[in-house]
Amino acid sequence: MSAERGTAPFLKVALVVYLVIFFGYLLGPLLIMGVTAFNSPGFPRAAPFECFTFEWFNTLYNDKRIVASLKHSAVVGAGTVILSLLLGLAGALVLTQIWPRLRATYYTVVIAPILIPGVVLGISTLVFWGRLNTMLGLPDDGFLRNGIFLTILGQTTFIASYCMLVFIARLQRFDQAQMEAALDLGATHAQAFRKILLPFLKPAIGSAAVIAFLASFENYNTTTFTFGTFPTLTIELAQKVRYGINPSISALAVIIVGITVLGALLHEAYKRREALAMAHGAPVGSLKSNLKLPSFLAGNPAAVVLVLVGLGFVGTLWFSQVHDPAACKADIRELKRLEADERRQELLKRRQEQRLQEQMRGPDIFVPRTPATPAPPATPAPTSPGRGTFGDVFNPGNLGGDTPGEGDAPGEDQPEAEQAPTENPGRGSFGDVFNPGNLGGSPTDDSGSPTDDSGSSTDDSRSSTDDSRSSTDDGGSTD
Amino acid sequence: MSAFFERNGPLLGSYLIVAVGFWILVLILLPQLAMLDISFRYNLPPSLVGSERDVYTLSNYQHMLFGNPGNPDRLAILGYQTDMPINKIDLAVFAKTIFVAVCITVFDLILCYPLAYYLGQSRTGGSARIFVLLLIIPYWVNEILRAFAFRIIFGTSGVINTALLGLGVIDQPYDFIRENIALYAGLGYAYILLMIFPIYNAIESLDHNQVEAARDLGSPWWRIHWRVVIPFAKPGITSGCTMVFMLTAGALAAPQILGGPSSLWFTQIIYQWFNTGQNWARGSAYAVVLLITCIIFVLFMMRAFKVKMGEIGK
Repeated sequence: MSAERGTAPFLKVALVVYLVIFFGYLLGPLLIMGVTAFNSPGFPRAAPFECFTFEWFNTLYNDKRIVASLKHSAVVGAGTVILSLLLGLAGALVLTQIWPRLRATYYTVVIAPILIPGVVLGISTLVFWGRLNTMLGLPDDGFLRNGIFLTILGQTTFIASYCMLVFIARLQRFDQAQMEAALDLGATHAQAFRKILLPFLKPAIGSAAVIAFLASFENYNTTTFTFGTFPTLTIELAQKVRYGINPSISALAVIIVGITVLGALLHEAYKRREALAMAHGAPVGSLKSNLKLPSFLAGNPAAVVLVLVGLGFVGTLWFSQVHDPAACKADIRELKRLEADERRQELLKRRQEQRLQEQMRGPDIFVPRTPATPAPPATPAPTSPGRGTFGDVFNPGNLGGDTPGEGDAPGEDQPEAEQAPTENPGRGSFGDVFNPGNLGGSPTDDSGSPTDDSGSSTDDSRSSTDDSRSSTDDGGSTD
Repeated sequence: MSAFFERNGPLLGSYLIVAVGFWILVLILLPQLAMLDISFRYNLPPSLVGSERDVYTLSNYQHMLFGNPGNPDRLAILGYQTDMPINKIDLAVFAKTIFVAVCITVFDLILCYPLAYYLGQSRTGGSARIFVLLLIIPYWVNEILRAFAFRIIFGTSGVINTALLGLGVIDQPYDFIRENIALYAGLGYAYILLMIFPIYNAIESLDHNQVEAARDLGSPWWRIHWRVVIPFAKPGITSGCTMVFMLTAGALAAPQILGGPSSLWFTQIIYQWFNTGQNWARGSAYAVVLLITCIIFVLFMMRAFKVKMGEIGK
């Protein structure tokens, strides 16, 4: 950091710390998500890394809804790109010609869609075309209420503004005299447009198209109101994330990040070559052969990264040859079983001790009490849906403190707990007790543990998605 | 008008007129007007739309302010109870949404300004581009996936809880999602790029000699920023803050995925009126309120920082 050199050394340290924090915040979540894509548990988690696996990519590939939504996304994206380019180009050209007095107002109107919240755009599109549909007396499933049609229009409203900004930036460097010269030399307006303006705008058209497609592809706020019966990939993802998570979503993220990085690196490499070509006064094409030179590689961080990515990929492939996920999973299952057994033994021992103590304190039973009161402290735990059947009852903490103290009749507490499992349908009688995760940390949590047992025992996506549906009351229940 | 066609020719001229007219009228203005219109109507079944019962009403806006007729909540001003009914839930959500959006905007500004300055003034060429690349990559990952990543991190069996449990800092997993911490982190993350790029663009065009001159004249580093860099970067800062605020206040995906079970974001209420509530009129009214709030915010920013609309869009 040349600017701060010599001023204060602490600034330098602060800068490094700050950069680490910033990029940690920026890239950390993506890295962790990437790790979960290769981890075997059914609930995406990075921390206890169990087995390296590619099965979530397979799950993703076999997910028909994802594949179908990808098609919708592609159709919507293509439509939006074409329409946005047409409108954005017209918008930019009009801006260069409009009366100066109207210019500011016009600019405000066409730039406004970027600033209007996406939900508002979606709603207004939905409402407007619905009204028009009714006014024209078309049937309810008419073409004006088609999800793809509405989504394209809703997205184009603001994506056209993005395109227009790209065109404006390019047009600022356009020499209008070229057009005039062409017209003076006898070209028609259409010819001048096609032969002069369009070639000049070509790079801008390319980047505007890329931006438009990416914006359309990842749009959620507008699309969520307009998609009708044609969910795009983003909509489908949102529903998956809200109603049940499994690592195939992480796998998709890995693919998307991979494509993004690759595209960005290629773009970067091209830019580099262009810059080099400019420096040498040679056309870009002539430098292609230089790409093999080590010196070029050394001067080009992007290429270095590209090579590293390639090596990483090859390494991964090699690893997958050596590594056998099935064996590893069996190992982990065995380990978990052993651990659970140990826990169970421990619990049984504790219970026995407890019983023993109770028997020693026999006289307590004769303490006068009303028959209706005995068990309340113990019952709520097993009925709560997110908890393991034996949930809190077997928690050492509970046994030590609550039960004998509040229950007033320790002898009756145990039978009450034994009956609890029958109240909880759909679970094995020992439910989550054998799950080491449950016993180890805490009785339960909302999102994590119920999926654990489903994920470790299943090789197939659908079952784990459905299981986790019950577990996502933290995110899904909000609407 | 004839000059316009003379300049562009009949073909190109009509393309421009039709395209821009379609965009402005059919895509931008009329839908907004339709939304405004429906927000002043009753929620009627399709068969009754256009009948004599389809009249204008303020009921949707009244509902947002005062709640349902039987609503027991009453407005209290400084502890003094008035007789006016008030829709506590929706108004509280609205106030919270705006307040949190402002906080997140400020947070992003503080977080991004140093990096924007560092990139814009101290880095040039290759390494700056690498930094920019690192910044762009997370941004092109889907909004949903970014929220999902935060859910993995902050979940009760997520990375942070596992680490804290492992270190023995806590003995129970802390529910970051219920406490909305995951939501705030995710929202701050989601639009960070739109804060950093306008500021970076502004600072990059600042002549570094100005900074050097200020330093040579004995100005401490914080005063250089306060008197030289920030005034110069003001349009970029305004633009970044406006974008981040609007997008955060209008965010839907992150609150749906990361929001706690008991907390709502204002856009989620709109969403509920449209989907589960099937009351388009009321949903539109709420959307109009959101739109007007955002317009007021933009106007306020433009006035307060004396920036023109053209500079915000950049």
